[in-house]
Amino acid sequence: MAAARTQSPLWGQIALLIVIIAVCVFPFYWMVTTSLKTHVVALEAPPVWIFEPTLANYREALFEDGVLRTLINSLVIAICTTGLALVLGVPAAFALARFEFRGKKDLWFWFITNRMVSPIVLALPFFLIARNLGLLDKHVTLILIYLTFNLPIVIWIVTDQFRGIPYDLDEAARLEGASQFRIMRSICLPLAMPGVAVSAIFSFIFSWNELMFGLILTRTDAKTAPAMAVSFMEGYNLPYGKIMATSTLIVIPVLIFALLASKQLVRGLTMGAVK
Amino acid sequence: MRGKVSRRTIFAFIGPAVIGLAMVGIAPLLYALWTSLHFFNLTKLKKVKFIGFENYWTVLTDEVFWQAMGRTMFLLGTALPLQLALGLGIALVLHQPGLTLIKTLARLSLVLPMATTYAVVGLLGQVMFNQKFGVVNQLMGGANINWIGDPENAFVMIVFWDVWQWTPFVALVLLAGLTMVPGEIEEAARLETTSKWTVLRYVQLPFLIPGLVAVLILRTADTLKLFDMVFTLTRGGPGSSTEFISLMIQRVGFRGFDQGLASAQAIILLIITIILAQIYIRVFYKEVN
Amino acid sequence: MNFRKLMASTAMAATMATTAVADGHGWSLKEAAAPYAGTTVDVVFLLRPGYEAIEAMLPAFEEETGIKINIIKHPYENALGEQVRDFVAGGDLDIALIDLVWIGNFAENDWILPLADVQAKFPDAVDPDLDIDDFFPLVLNAFGGWNETLYGLPFDNYSGLMFYNSCMLKEAGFDGPPETWQQLKDEYGPALTKDGKYAFALQSKRNETQSADSFARVLWPFGGSFLNDEFKSNLLSEESQAGLQFRQDLMQYMPDGIVAYDHAETVNGFAQGDIAMITEWSAFYSTVVSPETSTVADCVEIAPEPMGPAGRKPALGGFSLAVAAQADDAEQAAAYLFIQWATSKANAREYLERGGVPARQSVYVEDGLEDFKFVPALVESWQDGVPEFRPRFAEWPEITEIVQEWGTKMMLGEVTTVEGAEEIGTRMEAVLEEAGYYSGEKPMAQ
Repeated sequence: MAAARTQSPLWGQIALLIVIIAVCVFPFYWMVTTSLKTHVVALEAPPVWIFEPTLANYREALFEDGVLRTLINSLVIAICTTGLALVLGVPAAFALARFEFRGKKDLWFWFITNRMVSPIVLALPFFLIARNLGLLDKHVTLILIYLTFNLPIVIWIVTDQFRGIPYDLDEAARLEGASQFRIMRSICLPLAMPGVAVSAIFSFIFSWNELMFGLILTRTDAKTAPAMAVSFMEGYNLPYGKIMATSTLIVIPVLIFALLASKQLVRGLTMGAVK
Repeated sequence: MRGKVSRRTIFAFIGPAVIGLAMVGIAPLLYALWTSLHFFNLTKLKKVKFIGFENYWTVLTDEVFWQAMGRTMFLLGTALPLQLALGLGIALVLHQPGLTLIKTLARLSLVLPMATTYAVVGLLGQVMFNQKFGVVNQLMGGANINWIGDPENAFVMIVFWDVWQWTPFVALVLLAGLTMVPGEIEEAARLETTSKWTVLRYVQLPFLIPGLVAVLILRTADTLKLFDMVFTLTRGGPGSSTEFISLMIQRVGFRGFDQGLASAQAIILLIITIILAQIYIRVFYKEVN
Repeated sequence: MNFRKLMASTAMAATMATTAVADGHGWSLKEAAAPYAGTTVDVVFLLRPGYEAIEAMLPAFEEETGIKINIIKHPYENALGEQVRDFVAGGDLDIALIDLVWIGNFAENDWILPLADVQAKFPDAVDPDLDIDDFFPLVLNAFGGWNETLYGLPFDNYSGLMFYNSCMLKEAGFDGPPETWQQLKDEYGPALTKDGKYAFALQSKRNETQSADSFARVLWPFGGSFLNDEFKSNLLSEESQAGLQFRQDLMQYMPDGIVAYDHAETVNGFAQGDIAMITEWSAFYSTVVSPETSTVADCVEIAPEPMGPAGRKPALGGFSLAVAAQADDAEQAAAYLFIQWATSKANAREYLERGGVPARQSVYVEDGLEDFKFVPALVESWQDGVPEFRPRFAEWPEITEIVQEWGTKMMLGEVTTVEGAEEIGTRMEAVLEEAGYYSGEKPMAQ
C-alpha cells in the first residue's frame, strides 16, 4: 500500500507544487513591482527586476485621479447587493428546498439560468430603462442589476444547503406549532449558515469585480473601481505604472478577502458545483 | 405531509426574489425584445420605427456574427480541455498525502487567480506580454515574440489567461470530488492494482462526474459572457482575431449605437445560452430533486 | 465651400451681439460672468496634452468668473459613447466636446446650440474681441461647423505632420525628409529598415486610429476617397485602391504587428530611436522633444506630410467645444464664457506654451516661436486640406467601425484590398441607405 503511494518521487512533487505556486503568484508580483516603477523604468526593455521603488503612482491614482472614491463606491455597492441578494434569496431557497408546488423545477431553472446570461444582453436595455427612470450613475442601479448574477448564486448554493438538513427537525418544530418562517429562521438557517456565508463571499467577489455594467451605467458619482482602471487606457499615452497601481488597489483587497475566506470558498465549490 | 404549505406562504417566501429578479432580469429583456424589432439607433432616436424581424435577419445572415460565435466556441474548445487536463493533474497531486505545508500554500495560491478582477487580468496581460518591455518575452530567454499584434499569438495569449484564471477553479472542484471518495474503497483498489489510471477511471471518476458537469456548465456560460479581460487586453484585435461574441455585441450597441441590431444579437445569444444550459442541466443534472 | 456663408452669418451675429454692449464701457470677463458666478459647468475632457494645458490655466478663469468647471476625464475611445449616453439621457453635460467626425451627429440630434443662437441669447457674454475670422478657416469650418451653421469653436487642434529623426536620416545619406510617399517607400524604406530599426510606422490599431490615421491617410494623397458624388462607395476606384495597395507595400518597412500600434506605441518607438519617421498629430510634439520621454529629442525635425499623386493631403483632426442644448440658461451662458475664453486670441500664446495647439492664425505670426518647430508645417497644412478627410455626417460612428474591422483585416492579409473595399462599400452603403441619403430624404453633406 505504502509502495503505491510513494511511487512518484518526493522531489518531483515538490518541484511541481512550486511551479503551481509560482505561476499563480507571479503575475501579482509583477503587477505590484510595476506599480512601484516610474514611467521611464516601467518602459525599460528588457524589463528590470531591481530598481528604486516609488509610491508616486499610488499618490497620483488615489488622490489626484479619484481612485479612492471609486474603491469606496465598489465597496458600498458590493456589500449592499450581497445583503439584498441574501435577504431575497435565502427565503426563496428555503421554499425551493422545503415546499412542494407546481412549476418548482422550472422556477429553479429560471433562477439558475440568469447566472448564465451575458451582461451585454441586459446592459443595453437596462441603460435605457435607467435613463427613463433617472437612475443613471446611481449606486442603487448597480446594486439592483448585480442581483441578476448574485441571486442565482445565493439560490443555487443555499437551496442545496437547505436540502441537506434533515426534515425531522422541521417536523418536530411544526408539531409544536412553529410557523414556516420561524422554522427557517430558528432551525434551518443556523444549520445552513456555512452555505449562506459561501454564497455571500461569492456574490461579494463577483460584484467587486464586475466591469461592464459599471462602465455603462455610471459616469462619475457611482463609478466603480474596475471602470476606473479601464479609463486610463488613452491611446495617447499608456501610464503603465499608474494602471498597475490602480489594479493593485482593486485586486489586493479582494485577494486578502479571498484568502481569509479560502476555506469557505473551496467548500462553496464543493457545494454549488459538486453536489 | 412534508412540504404542504399554503400558496400564501410559498409566495411570501419566494415572491420577493421572483419579483426582484423579474424587475432587473425580465423587464430589460422585454425591452430588448421590443428594441430588436425596431430600427433603434441611439444617435437617431428621432427615426425609431418598427421593422419586424429585419434585425434578426441581418444577424442570422451576417457572417461576422457567426464568425464571432465560432471564435467563441473555438476558445471554449481550446481552453476547456487544457483547464480540465491541468486541473485534474493539479488535483491529483494535491490529493496525494504528505507535504502538508507546501500543499496548503499551493491550495491558497490557487484561490488567487479566481478572485482577480477580470479587467485587471487584461491590463496585466498588456504589461507582461508587451513585445519590447514585457516580462514574458524576457523569461522566454529574450524571445522577440509579438503577442498582441499578431492574430494567432493574441489568441494564444487569451487562451493563456483564461487557463491561468480558471484552471485553479477546475482543480479545486475536482480536488473536492477526490476527497469524497471513501478512503476504504480507494485503499482497497490500490491493493488490487498498481495502475493509477485504473484507480482514476473506475474508482475516482464516478465521484468527479458532478464536478465536471458543473465545470462544463459554468465555463460554457462564462465563455459566452467573456468580455472584461479581452476588452482590456486586445479589444478584440488585431483584426477580429479575438473578437468574441460579447465584445462584438458591445461594439455594435455602444460604439456603432445600433441598439436595435445589438438587441437582436443579444437575444439570439440568449437563446443559444438557454438551449445549451437546458441541455447541460436536463441531461447531466437529472438528480436535481 | 460653404464656410464663407457660415462665417458671414456668424460674423453678423457676433457684430449684432457686440453692438448691443459696445456702447458704454469696455467688455470684461469678470463683469460678463457676474450673473453666472457659482454656476458649475460639466465638460468631458480627454487625457491629452491640449487638455492638460487648459486645465493648468483654469484657476485663473475660475477665480475671475466664479464659474466652476467640472472636468470629467475619459480616454478618447470612450468619449463619444459617454457623451452620447449623457445626451440621450438628458444628463449633466453643459458643453459638448466634439471630434470633427462627430459634429454631424451632435448637430442633427440638436444636442448642441448654434453659436449664433447662444450669442443672441446672451449678448452680454459676447467678447467684442472674439474675432472669429482669426481662426484658420479650414479648421473652424471642419471642427465647428455643420451644414452652414457654426456650432463649436476649435479647441484641441491637430494636423498630421511628419516627424523624422534627422540623425538616422543623415546616417543613411538623406539630407531631408521624403517629399512624396513614393519616395518614402522606394528610397527611404529600404535604406532605413535594418538592424531592428524601421523606416516608418503608421499607427493602425483597430479603433479610430485605423480609420483616421491609417486608412484615410493613404486614401486621399492618391486621389481616393470614401465616397463619390452620389454618396456611393469610392473605395474600389483605381485611386483608392492604389492608396490601399500602397499601404500594404509600405508595411514591409514598418514594425511587425503594426495593426496593434496605437499612438502611444508609435510615438514611443520613434522617441526611442527605433523608428525613423512617423506621421503623427501635432499634439505629440512635446512628447518627442522632451528629454524625459524621448532619447532622440535633439534629432527630431518636422515636415509636412509627404505628397501623393493627388498632392499633399495631410490628416486633419481635432475637437471643438459647443454649448449643450440640455443645459439650463445659466449653465449655457457660463459654458459659452468658458469656450470663448479657452479658445480666445488672448490666451492662445499661453495655451501653446503649455503644450496645446491653438487654431488662432494671429498667434503663429508672433515672435519667439522658434522652439515650436512644428509651427511652419502646421500652418502650411491648415492652409488647405480636406475637411471631409473622414466624412463628418451622423453615420460616421457606424461607418468607422466597418472601416476599422475591414481595414485591419486588409493589413493582416486576411482579405485583399479589393475584397476589403467591397465589404466596406456594401456595408457602408447599407448604412447610408438606411439613413435616407439615396431616397433624397437627407442632403448629401459630409
